[in-house]
Amino acid sequence: MRFLFDPEVNWKHPFVLLTGLTAVIASGSVVLLFLFLIVQSLPIFSAMGLEFFSGSDWIPGESYSVWPLVYGSITVTGLALVWVLPLALGSALYTSEYLPPRWRSVVKATMELLAGVPGILFGLLGVSFLAVWVQDVFGLIDGNTLLTASFLLAGMVLPTIMTLAEDALRAVPFEYREIARALGLTSSEITFGVVLPQALPGVVGAVLLGLGRAMGETVAVMLVIGGLDRLPNPWFDVTQPGQSIPSKLGREAAEALGSGLHWNALIASGLVLFLMVMVISLVGTRLLNKGNKMSREDCCGVGGGNEPSVKILVGKN
Amino acid sequence: MNRQLKDRILRWVLASSAIAGCSLLALILIAVIWRGHSAINIDFLFGAPGNFGEGGIFYQALGTLLLMLGAGVLSFPIALGSALFQTEILRPGKTAELFQLLMYSLNAVPTILFGLIGFMVFGVWLDIGVSWTTGVFILAVMISPTVQTVMRQSIEAIPEHYQETARALGLSPWQRVRAVVLPQSAYGLVTGVLLGLARAAGETAAIMFTATVFSGILFPETWTEPVLTLQTHILTLAQEAVDPNTVANAWGAGLVLIGIVFFLISLSLVIRSRLSLEADS
Amino acid sequence: MGDILRTHSACFSFWSATCILLAGGIACSIFFLPSFVIAEGLIRSGGSTTVLPVVSKAAAHYNRSHPGVRVTVSGGGSGVGIQGVGSGLLDIGLASREMTEAEKKKFRERGLQVHVIGRDAVACVVSSEIYEAGVTALTRQQIRAIYEGRIRNWQEVGGPNRQIVVIDKERHRGTRHVFMDYVFGDPSAHAAGVRLVTGSNNEEQAKIAQSHSAIGMLSFAWMNQEVRGLGLIEGERIIQPTQGNVDNGSYPIVRNLNLLLPAKAAPEAQGFLAFMLSENGQSIVEDLHYVPVRQSEGSHLAGEVPGIQ
Repeated sequence: MRFLFDPEVNWKHPFVLLTGLTAVIASGSVVLLFLFLIVQSLPIFSAMGLEFFSGSDWIPGESYSVWPLVYGSITVTGLALVWVLPLALGSALYTSEYLPPRWRSVVKATMELLAGVPGILFGLLGVSFLAVWVQDVFGLIDGNTLLTASFLLAGMVLPTIMTLAEDALRAVPFEYREIARALGLTSSEITFGVVLPQALPGVVGAVLLGLGRAMGETVAVMLVIGGLDRLPNPWFDVTQPGQSIPSKLGREAAEALGSGLHWNALIASGLVLFLMVMVISLVGTRLLNKGNKMSREDCCGVGGGNEPSVKILVGKN
Repeated sequence: MNRQLKDRILRWVLASSAIAGCSLLALILIAVIWRGHSAINIDFLFGAPGNFGEGGIFYQALGTLLLMLGAGVLSFPIALGSALFQTEILRPGKTAELFQLLMYSLNAVPTILFGLIGFMVFGVWLDIGVSWTTGVFILAVMISPTVQTVMRQSIEAIPEHYQETARALGLSPWQRVRAVVLPQSAYGLVTGVLLGLARAAGETAAIMFTATVFSGILFPETWTEPVLTLQTHILTLAQEAVDPNTVANAWGAGLVLIGIVFFLISLSLVIRSRLSLEADS
Repeated sequence: MGDILRTHSACFSFWSATCILLAGGIACSIFFLPSFVIAEGLIRSGGSTTVLPVVSKAAAHYNRSHPGVRVTVSGGGSGVGIQGVGSGLLDIGLASREMTEAEKKKFRERGLQVHVIGRDAVACVVSSEIYEAGVTALTRQQIRAIYEGRIRNWQEVGGPNRQIVVIDKERHRGTRHVFMDYVFGDPSAHAAGVRLVTGSNNEEQAKIAQSHSAIGMLSFAWMNQEVRGLGLIEGERIIQPTQGNVDNGSYPIVRNLNLLLPAKAAPEAQGFLAFMLSENGQSIVEDLHYVPVRQSEGSHLAGEVPGIQ
């Protein structure tokens, strides 16, 4: 282990010990959380086995199945992605490629404020406006549906995706744009033909991180999703109510707090949520970092690094 | 000119999506102010709560601030310590990668899970039950990756030669931190804390069944008592959108909450823009 | 030169920020340190949102007249109240239903005692638009068919041509238990025709009021101009959801409002229970349109309430 650290570091030094301790606390808490989720969900797996994933009913005291909740979570976040993607990418591209620095910082500040809007306020907006609009516009008998929740989530993750995607786009070396312009390309051709392909891993990473955030959102979704632990019939009809994992946890956790098979089932759903969010977020983070690093490396290597994108440009013309 | 036309069209499409994205914030603000302003008056802001959803929100706001500040005070040393550990002591390698991975993971954990597991750990095992202390612990863990990330980035942004000079002078890590790292990253550290506080103030799911009650208490007098908060107050009222007065109160409380959060974020934005201005000069 | 200046101003603001944070922390500790004791005189109650208004109001009275005691109240539903008092998180559980067999078994060693503080009736309610369009009473079979999803349009029960928004409550809720017991003969019956699942009474009331074609279940205390109670057709008779019919025993969906205390309850909790059952406490029950229990019959001691069968 020692070679990993600075050999000059004196391990007995209180500063090193102290910061080391805080680092262990910070990083250990997520490990602890994961272990807790596993340990506390073991009873339900031994009681129900794989039925926990394949069943169709969640009836406390009788049977527990996480499948409708997983379906709800994935549907809602997937749809939210469809709504938000054009908007987030469009604004990220415009901000990074067209806006002068002053305006760019204004847009980024706006996005930061938007990211700070508390989830409960989105919930309040959803209950008072969105659910009513969805009911009227789609001619439904009730506005609390998977669709409503997905609209709400789209608004909530817009700033996350937009900000991170914009960072990834900015990380593309400036030389690329200059060369492309010297070749006589228009701004939009540079944007879509050079910058976007180059920044693609980072942009995908940004989208995945936004997706991870959307999947874990609780209160706003809880207020508008309808709370029905059942697959819609037919399964693709998103104008019906449903349930997502965090919303289920938010509604039922108090009822089972601390003990019993019902609690284990809820924690196991939490574990499923945790795993889904972790996979999405960590892949997203990796792509984001890789994208940024790649751009930086290309920037340093002068000749070879620039060639592929020039080829892309020529091909496009 | 076909290409020029296409260019112009695409430009407008992109511009309009940027405008639409930004106007979402304006829409939300307009909606909250429009629905909430009528509730705002002195009695509402500084009054004690009355029967269901009536009366003021003074103690709810106080509870939100209490949880937020408690979480900030607790997470500050943890975030600062681990940021220093990561930047000053840890060498690039497997350990550093693992640590970074864990911090990313912590940042990604859905907040409701902090509520569930935090309650088991603090509320049941440490036996402090549904109380503001439990809420503070949970929120502190929740915001620490946010605070740590901003702190780490601001420490990493310190020009390399400052650090090298300090090393060349033979300063110990602690001396180096005091003489170079802390002064040079001060704005970043404050920004990190502010963003963490904003995140804590806006959080509902993690505290709704671990730290708060509906009524019967104004402000906790001991460690083990629960609080009232704005977030859970709005949550309760949001489900009950019938009586127009109560609905207006929910929006009023929302306006106050968004005010607190936006104040913190704006402050962090101002600090950062000052920082970048100074760096340019 | 610029560097030195910046260092100084940055240094200053950093230390001032640290000082503010520290001072805040210290102030908090000083404020709370003298009272670092396990909250004495704090009684936590929570559970059924049907019982909540009564207890909330009573707690406000009680806290005012007993300075050393504070009774906190939170919602969540009957299941939450029973689970809370059973696991020791609450001192008093609020429940608008009796404990299920599973719950009795789970919390046997706590020796939970059920104290009836009042009675309440549950109505089958509809949106006012439906009521005004002529659906004012339903049979038990019709309600059942609606909840099972066999009747999907109000037309089939004499209403307008509009789809029915069937509103259910979360499974552990007291109102659902007694309502389903009446309609299906099974407190935890599965309702396949349900469109929405709500939690608290307020939430369900709000959803029914918002909708133009909803049916649901609510305590009498939550009926109003937007949310209208249906008469129940039993044979030739139509039993209207009125207080009079509850009093004379003809309205069929009636239940107890219970406070649950563990066998070894704190004296403060006992005190609050005594207040609930006193004249003042019972007048609060009556103010909120519930039926007070008659103390003379000693009904608060057992789970059974006279007149319900």
